Formats: sequence, C-alpha cells, structure tokens
Amino acid sequence: MAFQVSLGDDAAAVDSPTKIELKHVNFFYGGFQGLRDISLTIPEKQVTAFIGPSGCGKSTLLRTLNRMYSLYPGQRAEGEILFNGKNILDAKQDLNALRGAIGMVFQKPTPFPMSIYDNIAFGVKLYENLSKSDMDDRVEWALNKAALWNEAKDKLTQSGLSLSGGQQQRLCIARGIAVKPEVLLLDEPTSALDPISTARIEELVSELRNDYTIVMVTHNMQQAARVSQHTAYMYLGELIEFTPTAQIFVKPKDRRTEDYITGRFG
Amino acid sequence: MSHSNSFRRQDAIFARTTQFFALLVLATLAGIIATLVIGSWQTLTQTGPKFFVSDVWDPVQNLYGGMAPLWGTVVTATIALLVGVPLSFGIAIFLTEMCPPALKRPLGTAVELLAAVPSIIYGMWGLFILTPLIASIQPTLTATLGQIPVVGVIFQGPPMGIGVLTAGLILSVMVIPFIASVMRDVFETTPAILKESAYGLGATTWEVVWNVVLPYTKAGVIGGIMLGLGRALGETMAVTFVIGNAYNISMQLFEPGNSIASSLANEFNEASDPAHMSALITLGLTLFALSFVVLSLSRWMLSSLKSKEGKRT
Repeated sequence: MAFQVSLGDDAAAVDSPTKIELKHVNFFYGGFQGLRDISLTIPEKQVTAFIGPSGCGKSTLLRTLNRMYSLYPGQRAEGEILFNGKNILDAKQDLNALRGAIGMVFQKPTPFPMSIYDNIAFGVKLYENLSKSDMDDRVEWALNKAALWNEAKDKLTQSGLSLSGGQQQRLCIARGIAVKPEVLLLDEPTSALDPISTARIEELVSELRNDYTIVMVTHNMQQAARVSQHTAYMYLGELIEFTPTAQIFVKPKDRRTEDYITGRFG
Repeated sequence: MSHSNSFRRQDAIFARTTQFFALLVLATLAGIIATLVIGSWQTLTQTGPKFFVSDVWDPVQNLYGGMAPLWGTVVTATIALLVGVPLSFGIAIFLTEMCPPALKRPLGTAVELLAAVPSIIYGMWGLFILTPLIASIQPTLTATLGQIPVVGVIFQGPPMGIGVLTAGLILSVMVIPFIASVMRDVFETTPAILKESAYGLGATTWEVVWNVVLPYTKAGVIGGIMLGLGRALGETMAVTFVIGNAYNISMQLFEPGNSIASSLANEFNEASDPAHMSALITLGLTLFALSFVVLSLSRWMLSSLKSKEGKRT
C-alpha cells in the first residue's frame, strides 16, 4: 500500500477539455531512443505531473512539448503532438509562436543579465509593441501573478541576479506568464530551492492552474501529490501509468509504479 | 618535521620566484616608458605640444609634426574595427549557434589559422591582390558614394588602390581571427539553460544572441575587441606595404597616408640627425599613450555597462 500523502484537490480532476494530445510519440537522441510510443492527453487548466527516476525521459517528454529539442541537431521526435488540435511536430510549425504560447521554466533560476523590469519586458517586446505605461502595467501584472510584486516593486531597476534563488525562480515564472502563454512547462522548478521557497512555488503553481495549463516534471513525489491533478509515471522512456493523481498514489494500477512510489524501486 | 620544514622553504622560494617574475613585468614597463621619454626628450622640449598638432614632417629642414601618422593610425584602426568587429561577431554567432557540428571544428581552426599567417604575407596579399582590386572599384565608389553630400568626401581620392582604406581593410582581416576566436570562446561560456530560457520565450537566434548572450559575455567581447585594436594600432609590415607612406592628413580614404608604426619602420634606418631620431621616438611614445588611453576607455566602458545592468546588492 502507498504511504500517506496529502493529495491535491482531486475534485478538480474531473473531465476537462484536452489541451495537448500526444499520439505515439517516439524521441531519438541520434541513435538512442529516449521516448517509446508515448500517448497521453494533457487536460486544460490543470496540473499534470511527470514523475519517474532519473533518465526515464520525463524531461525529454516535456521538451518535446515546446520543441526545445529542435535547437540541437541530431535530436528528433516522431508521432503527433496536437496542441489546440494542430500537430506541433509538423516541420512547418512556427517555433517562435509555439514557444510564445507554451512557456517554460527550468531546473535552475535563469534570470537574464539585465534588470528585473527588463527581464519581464524582454519577452513581451518579442510579441507586442506596448507603450511605456502599458509595459509598466504588464510588468506589475506579471510580478503580481508570480507573487513577487511586493518584494520586487522597489527594486525593478536592479539586476535580476540580485534576488534570492526562490525570488529568481518566481521572476522566471513571471517572465513566462508576461507573454500570456496558454501552457506553462515547469522542468523541476524547485530542485535548486530551499523548502520555504519550494512551498511558495507550489502554492503559486496551484493558483496559476486557474488560468494556465501546467505540465510539471518533478523528482519529488510528494510535490506531484500536492500540486497535480494528473500524474504520469515514466520508466526507461516508456509511459507506465497515467491517471488522476489521487489514484496513482493510493491505488497504482501497475506494479512498477507501486514499487517506485513506495520506495521499493531498486 | 624536517620534511615539512623543507617544504616550507620550497614554498617560500617558489613564492619569491613567482613574485620576481611578476615584478619583472612592472620593471619592463617602467623601463620602456623611461627609455621612450628620454629618447623623445629633445622633441618634447624643443617642439613641445606643437608636435601633436602639426602635420609638417620635413627631415631636410628638421621640422617634425606627428599629426599625420597619428591620424593615419587612428583612421586605419577605426576602419579595421568597423569592418572587422561585425564580421567577427557574425563568424562567432555562426560557429556557436548555427554551425552544423561537423563544420564546427574545421571552421574554428581555420579562423585561428588566420592569426598564424605572418603579417608580411598579408602585406604582399594587400599589395598584389587587394590594391589592384580596390583601384578597379574606386572610380565606381567615387562616382556613387563619393557624391553623397558631407560624407561623400571620404570616398574620394586618386584611384591608385594604395591608401588609408586599403590599409584599414587589410588590418580588418588581420584582427578578425583575434576578435572572432575570443568572441566564440566567450559565447560558448553562456549556459545552455540561459539560452534555452530565451528561446523558450519564443526569441529568435538573433534576439537570443543580442539580448542574452552578448550582455552575458560583454566583458570577454570587449576584451577581444581590445586585443584586435591593439594589433591594428601596432601592426607595421602589412600597413607599410599598402598605406602609401605619405605624411598627409585627409578625410579622403583613397589618399595615401601613414601610420605611426609604418613611419618608424620606414625611417629609423635613415634617421641620422638626433632631432629626427627623437621625433620618431616621440611617435613611439604617442602610440604607447594611445594604447593606454584605449585600454582605459575599455575599462570605463565595461564599468558603465555593468551599472546599466542594474545593481546587484
């Protein structure tokens, strides 16, 4: 039996329209196959977590959703990923537009070497030509959404690097939100943070779910249990189980999932 | 015990030795400055500040003014950077962001090899290949760009192919390997995750390089440009071949001119008169001072760029 965890709001895990649908996705790093025949549906305005041991392909899967892998020659995906019904693996897909609609936050905070204000304005300027006052409003709105406004409002002109690690990560989330995406991809967003900063990010993710579809990779199973409504367990590039979070931690269908979440995994 | 004692003594000797070598650098610098000042004393006291504003260089009458070679040095180095920096930037971006892996090493090595070409080869290439080429396109340039009001004057002059522009172009080729390889090396130090963050917002390669990679690596980039500028200011042989060696100040880039380094190379052998010799050494001192000013400017530029980025407290 699984250990006791406080589960996320599973009432929310009711049927929700599909935001992203993966159909038989295979992924290759040169000759090595990183993902094997992954099919799953990511529901709109919910948090979907990918869990699994290191090297299982969960980050790889996340990076197919905004085609980040396309930066690197030799990496390629096969199959279909339908985002709002359109296959983003299509060679004709406009990657810049795709990444504007699907934002990403990384394992480590990555503020750009510029002021806090410019960190947020940078992404907005790629898509919109805002007046100074509109941009001010947008920056404030994004920082508010990321629960950073109160801490940052008096030092908007200071370097983004002057913030603490947890604040930097919230700045990165604000930066992602500022361009008004539909989906946020979080790649182990708290792995470099202390427990208090982690708790704040988790709170934030739960709030952002009201407006955005969130896909999160995490090493931390309690985190998946706390913030997600759906959890995918991956192992060696395969999707072993994908169910509502409430179910996977209480009654996993697959023996391998149970071994992993109970810590019997070797 | 004696074991550790001997180690301690070795450490002390090591510290002293390295300290000696470090101080040797200071001593050499001081020695060079002292030699230059002593050598140029005659000119500095007799001609005085007029040396730097006069363009008369007449060894027969023993009248020396350093303005012309100083002008030529600054103009050729400026042309070299104006042409060389954007090209190097492009080379570095291509090598770090877009180059297929199979091409990366050969291309990178080729750029570095450009730095290994002796300057005399560049000089001969300039004289035999570039000069006739420039001479053949000069009339066209004069007839088109040369007709633009105000700035047109820089594209005028005799169509000989020899002159300040040709020297500047050769210098630009010579500085490219330095600037491009430093830029490439520092661009590579940008963390992949930082670049991915910018790509993840939907930025294009250009936007990522210009807004993220360049600010992240600005200290190294400016260092690379300074390295190139240092070479452009001091390069002698290739410039002497194509600059025309005329003491001449002109806005016209097709006019022959002179640079400090090429004046020195051309005239040291014939400088029998102490006044002539002293004037040449004063030119050397001027070049030294110029490099110092350039270095200080780059330091100042770096610190002002840093403050623009926002305080880090």
